[in-house]
Amino acid sequence: MTDVTLYHWEPNANSGKPMLALFEKGVAFDSHYLDLLNFDQHRPDYLAVNPLGTIPAMTHGDKVLTESTAIMEYVNEAFDGPRLMPADPVDQWRARWWMKFLDQWLAPSFSMIGWSVFVGPSVRQKDPAELEAAIDRIPMPERRTAWRKAINGAFSPEEMTESQRRVGLGIGYLEAALVQREWLASGEYGLADINGFNLAYAMPLSQPQLCNDELTPNIMRWLRAIYARPATRACWALGRTDLARRISLLESEPA
Amino acid sequence: MTGILYHGQPNGPSFTVLAAAFEKGVDLERRPIDLVAGDRHSAALPHPIEVDQSIEGEGPVLVVGDVAMTDSVFLACYLDDIGTGPAIRPADPYARWQMMAWCRYVIERVAPAAAALGNAAAPPHTVPAGIASADLAARWTDAVEGEADATQLADSRTKIVQAVEKIEAQLADGRDWLMGDFSIADLESFAWLAGMRALVPQAFVASPRVDAWEARLRARPAVAQALGLATVPNPEAIWAPGPEINRWG
Ligand SMILES: N[C@@H](CCC(=O)N[C@@H](CS)C(=O)NCC(=O)O)C(=O)O
Repeated sequence: MTDVTLYHWEPNANSGKPMLALFEKGVAFDSHYLDLLNFDQHRPDYLAVNPLGTIPAMTHGDKVLTESTAIMEYVNEAFDGPRLMPADPVDQWRARWWMKFLDQWLAPSFSMIGWSVFVGPSVRQKDPAELEAAIDRIPMPERRTAWRKAINGAFSPEEMTESQRRVGLGIGYLEAALVQREWLASGEYGLADINGFNLAYAMPLSQPQLCNDELTPNIMRWLRAIYARPATRACWALGRTDLARRISLLESEPA
Repeated sequence: MTGILYHGQPNGPSFTVLAAAFEKGVDLERRPIDLVAGDRHSAALPHPIEVDQSIEGEGPVLVVGDVAMTDSVFLACYLDDIGTGPAIRPADPYARWQMMAWCRYVIERVAPAAAALGNAAAPPHTVPAGIASADLAARWTDAVEGEADATQLADSRTKIVQAVEKIEAQLADGRDWLMGDFSIADLESFAWLAGMRALVPQAFVASPRVDAWEARLRARPAVAQALGLATVPNPEAIWAPGPEINRWG
């Protein structure tokens, strides 16, 4: 029994951030898996936990927490275990800068591509009336729009091009940062790396022409080093679909 | 000497950082720049990725040694760590989570809305040279050409109304400050909402607790000191392109 429950989907994107932080910290938690493709996150029992209807959410005793990056900072501060934020205040600033940059600039571009090529097609064949009802249950208007676009394949060419532009640039920025430092924000592994890994672990597969041993050797070094950590293995073992299984490509040797 | 702060008029992110520095007693070398003229993009400032790709858009830059730092909430966290004044973040991890999640809401929903409305009301005259980020440059072009989309402006007004309601509700138990004790959340919320009284007056028609909170905030010596650095009568009416409106949801 533990007093921590995490409501999550696959170890991937926002769900994977608190999952991996908990594993790195050595905090036992009750895993409550929600199937995003089955709209579990918009059902009343989950809306009682997070009225916004987004994943992840965490409870610790009677405390409820949302916002994956803020949850990670809480996990780091509230529990014993290895420190996942650097000690130096400038390095802490840099960790937060990168997490915001990933959360609000790079990740949405990956999401748009992912929803367009994976999430939309995965749910599209469901009964249209059932889908309409599912969309009506979504609390946030912005997300209703995103789901409609994903299901109807209605992301405009301009927005897709802009997302791809940002992905290309973002990969370059990550590589440049990892040329300068061993880890993303400082000389120590921490929350910025956990955040970045959840976004980037499948990049060599999804963006092979931009992210590979030749063009981005430092990203590849960094991804493999994170993959080698026992916490990462344990965390990804909670994945139930091929999405999480993409991580196995990091077993490859550097070219 | 603990750092050089390049900042604009005490509005938006420049306000947050100036007030946080005064609250914490951090003695920065202040270098006022004209954000609306695009000074932030000049060769006088360092241009690492953290400056050029800051999500905040036209915010202040704090240079400490050879590191140039941006994004006001995180600069305020840094100042909280290094300054000697009373803490501006709660010590308890859960209370700290509440503050960070609150600030994330302001950063993600309120700031883009306020910046869109502010720029539409007081557009900059020209797009400055040397903007490294193509998406920030596009926000400048839209602002200069007055190309704000009507749907986005309407949605932005809704976001401001919701933000004022959220603060009113947060203060309903009679507390003085958003997190109980005074914190960065108060500074960052005020930073983006100060200019909205004139632009979205309907948000403030029934907000007695927000009004009293703002008066308490303005009465703080550090806040008065920050606002006192203004070189124009109404700093809250001065805007340059800010964070983008969430393109995903
Ligand atoms: N800012 C939030 C975003 C959470 C979020 O949007 N999660 C996605 C999954 S990665 C989600 O719930 N999407 C499903 C939906 O919106 O219906 C966080 O970081 O936790």
